Parts: sequence; C-alpha cells; structure tokens
Amino acid sequence: MKIAAIIAGLALLVPAAGKRADMDGVWILLGTNIEKPQLTPEGEKKRAAYDYQKDDPDFQCKPASVTRVMHTPSPPIEVRQHGDYVEVNYEFMDVRRRVPLKKGLAAKDAPYAAKKYPHLGKSVGQYDGETLVIETEGQKAGILDTLGSPGLYQSDQMRTVEKFIPDGNRMQVTVTHYDPVYFTQPFTVTYNYVKLPGGKIEKWDCKPEEATFERFAK
Amino acid sequence: MYRKIAAAAMIAGGLLFVSASALAHHSVAANFDGSKAMDVTGKVKEVSIRNPHSQITLEVPSPQGGTKEFYVEWSDKNALMRRSVPVNKIKVGDQVTINVSPSKRLPNLGYFRTATLPDGTVIRDCGFAAFRQGIANGKSGCEENAK
Repeated sequence: MKIAAIIAGLALLVPAAGKRADMDGVWILLGTNIEKPQLTPEGEKKRAAYDYQKDDPDFQCKPASVTRVMHTPSPPIEVRQHGDYVEVNYEFMDVRRRVPLKKGLAAKDAPYAAKKYPHLGKSVGQYDGETLVIETEGQKAGILDTLGSPGLYQSDQMRTVEKFIPDGNRMQVTVTHYDPVYFTQPFTVTYNYVKLPGGKIEKWDCKPEEATFERFAK
Repeated sequence: MYRKIAAAAMIAGGLLFVSASALAHHSVAANFDGSKAMDVTGKVKEVSIRNPHSQITLEVPSPQGGTKEFYVEWSDKNALMRRSVPVNKIKVGDQVTINVSPSKRLPNLGYFRTATLPDGTVIRDCGFAAFRQGIANGKSGCEENAK
C-alpha cells in the first residue's frame, strides 16, 4: 500500500512521455534576431510593391503568419504540453494552436493547427532531445511579415520548422522558412523569451476600426 | 468661391492622406520620435484602454480659437494591466497635462510618456522594455508604476 503510494507520488514528479517540464508556461519576448532575407526576384518585386495600408492584415485584425504573431513584443505566448499534443497559444490576435505529437505523421496530412485561422497551416510536432520541433505546411499564400521585416511574402509552397529550445526560465524559438517561390535560401527568425511567473494569456479582442492609424486622420 | 473651397478641401484632404500614408507600419519606433518630449494640456474627452493600442483623446485650445482634438497613443490594454499602470485615474472631463513623444508625421498625435492629473499625481509607465528587463532580472516588472 505504502509502496503504491510512493510510486504514485513519484509519477507526479515525472513529466509525461516526451514532455519537457520547463517548457510549459507563459513566455514574454526578450528580443528578436531576424536574418537578412535572401529573396527571389518575385520576392523582391512583392516587397517593393508592399503597401501597408492595403496589405497589412493586422489592420483587419488577422494574424498574418505564425512568425508575425510573435513579433509584437508585449503580448506573451504560452506552451502547454499534453500526452499526444502540444498547445501553443499567442495572446496577439487570439491565436490558439493545437499541434499533434505524432511520429511519422506528415505536416501536410495533419489537421489545421489553429481552427479559427486555417491559413496558418497544418502542423505536427515531435521532440528532438529537449527541443520541441514543429513542422508546418499548407499555409495560405499571402503576407509573411509586417513588423519585424515588413513586406515579406509567403507562397502556399512554404514549409516552416519551428524549434522550441528551453533553458530554465529562458526559451529560444527559431522559425525557419523554406519557400522556393519568394526565398532563395531558408530564412530564419529567432525569438528569445523569458518565463513570466504567474503569467496568463489574456483576450486580445482586436477590432479593425481601432487597429489602424487612419483613425487619427479625421 | 465654391471651387476655391473645394480645391482647398481637396488639398487639405490630400495632405492628410499623404501624412497617414507615409506611416510605414504601426510600430511605435517607426511612428514616434522617442528622443523628443512635449507637454500637451487639455480636457480629457475619451479614454480608451484597448488592444492593439490604447488611445486618450484630449480637447486642447486651438490657435484659431475654440478647441481641437489631440490623440495620445499608448500601449495595448493587456500590457498596461501587466505593468500595473493605474489607468483608471485618468478621468473624462479632467484637465490634465500629458507628456508625449511627438508623432513623426501627424501634428495632433503623440505617444504617452507621463500624465499629470489635476491633484498633481503623476501617472508613469515604465514601458515594455523596462518591464521585460525587470522580469528577466527576477523582479515583478515595473513596481514604480503602481505607486
């Protein structure tokens, strides 16, 4: 009886299979490193024609991409690991992703990660040592970034690989974009986070009429 | 006469459009001059604490007589709450002085630095950079904001 209780107690201390205990929590952005994008002529053309007033989905309160939703510094992100899936939640634009952890499942065959925003693609995750690796395909063609590196575009052929690398109360997230239409080389953005003790993801509740600077031009 | 008025209105409208269009995107650093500060004194017409940016509207005296509106842009609601900024002390109808970083392009717009209330209370906001540095240093963020 006592042995059973001890085993049960120990079980509570051991993370679920594959789960990395120090990754769970709410994280706030410390800094970002954006590689210089190497663009195809088509990518350069699109970037030159980018007009934030017409093209920036932020003003319609739509998250442009997973990369973009991490660029706004103040809204935190949250990671919650479960047995066979991981939640990655972003306060910015109320993005909630549920990523299955299934070896052998191709991203293209995975479900859409954010039900509310299917244009963010289909994702699947797995662990590589202490690192959580999420691969995504099936993202809709459109804007990739409007803030860190405004005017970058993505095609529907883009594949992204996100790596969540925890280190105590710090975590690094790298997002590498592979897009043969707009990039000649993989394009990586690195985000450095610190854990926000007692942090909570709040509702963003963005309204288009309150999101644009045009409201001042009256 | 009507043609002159219409032309003037078109020019004014065009200038306003150009001013707004010139804003590259909505980042604070791109749109406000953080190296400058100016006081704006007026009556609080509206306080809207919201995402993605909060806004305070002041009625300030116009050189032409009467009043005009001045807009104070500020952080998102969630960040202000996390930084314990006592935003509810800024009340509609109060005469306040808000110190802002001016907009790089629009004359009636600035970014919040401090607000001095009618009783002399000064509302401060340490800002996100100081907040995250506080968290990284093991503190709770911006303790001075709540004073």
